[in-house]
Amino acid sequence: MEKRDDKYDFSLYEYHNLLHQNILVSYKGPIDERIMTVIGENIEIVTNDGNDKARTKIFKIFMELAQNVWLYSAESCKTISGKQLGMGTLVIGEFGNYYTFVTGNVVKNTDIEPVIEKCEIINSLDRDSLREYRREQRRLANQGKPNSGNIGLIQVALTAESPLDIELTPVSDEESFFSIAVKIKKTNCK
Amino acid sequence: MNDIHIKGVHEAYFVPTVNFEVATGKCEIEGESYLEETTKFYAPLLAWIREYIDTVKGPLYFDFKLSYFNTSSSKCLVDILDMLKNYQKKGGEVTVNWYYDDSDEELEEIEDFIMETGLQINKIPLE
Repeated sequence: MEKRDDKYDFSLYEYHNLLHQNILVSYKGPIDERIMTVIGENIEIVTNDGNDKARTKIFKIFMELAQNVWLYSAESCKTISGKQLGMGTLVIGEFGNYYTFVTGNVVKNTDIEPVIEKCEIINSLDRDSLREYRREQRRLANQGKPNSGNIGLIQVALTAESPLDIELTPVSDEESFFSIAVKIKKTNCK
Repeated sequence: MNDIHIKGVHEAYFVPTVNFEVATGKCEIEGESYLEETTKFYAPLLAWIREYIDTVKGPLYFDFKLSYFNTSSSKCLVDILDMLKNYQKKGGEVTVNWYYDDSDEELEEIEDFIMETGLQINKIPLE
């Protein structure tokens, strides 16, 4: 077949194959409560291998991380009714004895430093210290202390029983793509 | 002062079932808690407890049977537990039962609520 210059140069088949390997759910786009409902139901279906604890863990992690993309992504769009929705990417994979859950979104370089610091603190703590950190941060949040808020990331690390693998890739002088990945070992869910 | 009865809903958001009874002091929050405006949902529940403590001054029996709550809801749950602890400190009769599924993580969460608020919570495994 003759190659046209204006041909849409994207192989959906290659994309499909890439996703087909170990990927249970993938989504890119705006996130709101309706999308979360659909993906949440999807998670229940694709992780329905009789391991209820793994399914519950993935669901809990999804609820916290997807909410962060929705609220904090620097890339957003507006619905017809004027609601602002954060955009991002979410992938759930299954690899032998563990599941992976990854979310990513564009962030402003000026906003991301405290989040990275928080992830580093979380990754440096053992389980008991992490629980103590959650109690402390929740207490500060309830006292209305500024910048204490989000205990979602601590919760994610506790639920996953694994560190938060973070990656920051610059996309421009002002913005970067920030992703958080966690592993959920099936053996921890028996 | 009126009872509170809220029927649980599992749609885009998850509203827990809430039953607070003035006559008996029996209160239960069960189901799932993931709300559009968490603080707004829990504010009337906290106001009810405050009014009960100030005017009825009777015993309070709390049953928590939550199969899921997000971190935002957990902050409001701690507010409730704090209020109950303060009532107890002032001589109020308070019993709190927390029903949990057979999971270490849930048990840890209840233990953390106990450490965080100083309130005694009975941990009861669901059958």
